[in-house]
Amino acid sequence: MYIGPWHIPPQDIFKAFLSPLFPSLKQGLPDAERYISTVYDIRLPRLLLALMAGAALSVSGASLQALFKNPLVNEYILGLSSGAAFGAAISIVFLGQHFPPQISAFAFSVVAVLAVWTVAKKSDSQIISLLLTGVIVSAFFSALLSLAEFFASPYALQSLFSWLMGDLSQAGWRPLALSLPLMGLGTVGLILMRWRMNVLSMSDEEAKSLGVNIRNEKLLVIFLATLITSAATAVAGIIGWIGLIVPHLVRMMVGVDNRRVVPLSAALGAGFLILADDLARSLASFEIPVGIFTSLIGIPFFIFLLKKSKKVWL
Amino acid sequence: MKANISCIIVAAALAGLSSPAFPNAGQAKNVLTIKDSLDRTVAIPSRVERIITIQPEISRLIVALGAGDTLVGVDYTLRLRDPLFMIVYPEGSRLPLVSMAENNINLEMVLRLKPDLVFVSPYERQIVSALQRKTQIPVVALSSMGSFSKLVEEARLVGRILGRERRADELAAYFDETLRRLGASLKNVPQNKKPRVYLSFGGSLTRTPIFYEPVNAAGGTNVAEKLLPDFLGVITTAVNIEQIVRWDPDIILVHGNYPPPERKVTPVGVLADSRLASVKAVKAKKVYYTFGFWDWWDMAEVLTETLYLANMFYPDAFPGFDLKREGDAIIKKFYGVEGGFSALSKILRCDEWTHEQ
Repeated sequence: MYIGPWHIPPQDIFKAFLSPLFPSLKQGLPDAERYISTVYDIRLPRLLLALMAGAALSVSGASLQALFKNPLVNEYILGLSSGAAFGAAISIVFLGQHFPPQISAFAFSVVAVLAVWTVAKKSDSQIISLLLTGVIVSAFFSALLSLAEFFASPYALQSLFSWLMGDLSQAGWRPLALSLPLMGLGTVGLILMRWRMNVLSMSDEEAKSLGVNIRNEKLLVIFLATLITSAATAVAGIIGWIGLIVPHLVRMMVGVDNRRVVPLSAALGAGFLILADDLARSLASFEIPVGIFTSLIGIPFFIFLLKKSKKVWL
Repeated sequence: MKANISCIIVAAALAGLSSPAFPNAGQAKNVLTIKDSLDRTVAIPSRVERIITIQPEISRLIVALGAGDTLVGVDYTLRLRDPLFMIVYPEGSRLPLVSMAENNINLEMVLRLKPDLVFVSPYERQIVSALQRKTQIPVVALSSMGSFSKLVEEARLVGRILGRERRADELAAYFDETLRRLGASLKNVPQNKKPRVYLSFGGSLTRTPIFYEPVNAAGGTNVAEKLLPDFLGVITTAVNIEQIVRWDPDIILVHGNYPPPERKVTPVGVLADSRLASVKAVKAKKVYYTFGFWDWWDMAEVLTETLYLANMFYPDAFPGFDLKREGDAIIKKFYGVEGGFSALSKILRCDEWTHEQ
């Protein structure tokens, strides 16, 4: 809350934050109205978005890694990011103000995952089919995205580019009104399912012998992961690497037990994205897309830990 | 007689020696050498009769100079997305396309059209060198980047290239004189009375030009003019919305140069944005459309916009100002088309927000 392009003294931020409860604090502020607006309408929603999106993407990545029993899986594996990117492009390039990119991105990310599920659900080897179909659906939506980019004006391309790199600058109460509850509910749902993920990460035969309805459990994990990733991507754009790196970092710290990995991924992911966003909005006079920092910070740190531990945990 | 023949031979030899080597040697003997916006030296053939341009600013300038019939190929944006070009040069709708939206130029088409010269924007550096190397056709990279003085320089330079110096001088003089008269009307406005203006451009609330001379020429101050651009070769940057609150501008201008379905940011939306509720411009409801960038720049359009803004900032200084009448007169001066600005406003539905002026 203390970081931003406007260097408001910390004590004034504190006063502005408490002023709705204690109106007398306003008198000590040099520009009370704008300070309070900056704190409540700009910094607070952005902080909440970074916190919730970081938690949601990390939990989604951790859950899908457990489900697919594959350390290379990330939160976008089921074609979600390409679907969302195409949805945002449709809005930014063709539809204008009447159809916001958040809604379009959310809708198309869900469409992409539904397409993957519809194609792969009846396969004998469902996990491999889901992964393979995810890659194919991603490629299909990427081609559609390229087509939309081809017809875009230079200005639309700039907006789209920022969105594709992850952009928390559009955070406000209106876009958050729907996405925050979705991210919150889905993240809590996956955290509640953490012990079942330990069962799902066993072989199907072992899981069945423990009395688990594998199909329903998998479907529920995929549904919740899709819900929170779509909700986060719709308002924050495509923020890469969090869902891959954060669960690995957590496993390096606490081991492979999903009962600890999933909630700690939420905490670490939230902190990581807040840190990246602090850098994104304070290092230059212009906004640097936050996705650049998640990669610039996350990847070297991940390589460092990988070299140190010499082991990939799953 | 012998002496005369000797003189002719010597003169011809000297003429040959004085002509610099030129890649497209068959076409020209006397060449004009110019420096383009990338500081490249380019030898221009003495007769330029066939031009390809993928730089909309130059394409329109060529039409304004009365040389539209030299255009043999244009870019996608100009031909299909530029209503101003459609109005001022309807014949352009039949010109072949040589590049698409991403400026991926069709080299085979370029060669087929046999141009004497190709104009490109300096933003596409790789196209500039690749095109000249592969086709051996002189390529000129030109752009004013919105600077009024460079627009005038550019008009004069293209006028020299096309042998239309007199028309270029006429347009440059008209441009300078209109701005001089405007400046004279505003000369008594003290610096601290000039409105501080934030511009929301390119379909984003937080994308703003760091250099926008129409605002300055109209007697305003662009609050973002000391920032750096966020991409090389552009004059815009993306700012944090908190920065807009901090600047606390008197007026917010929204890029309105799109047809309504393409407008991402609108004055109504800005006025309803709770994050900006404490900003002076929003409290005073001084959030308006302006024209903004026009597929690069256009002398006629930029002049019209400057007058529009001056009247917005200082309505009392321009009693009886009629935007349509002024705009139509400017378009007629540059392009010889009657009612051009009115037609343009109708296409873009700018008349929804310019009718008050």
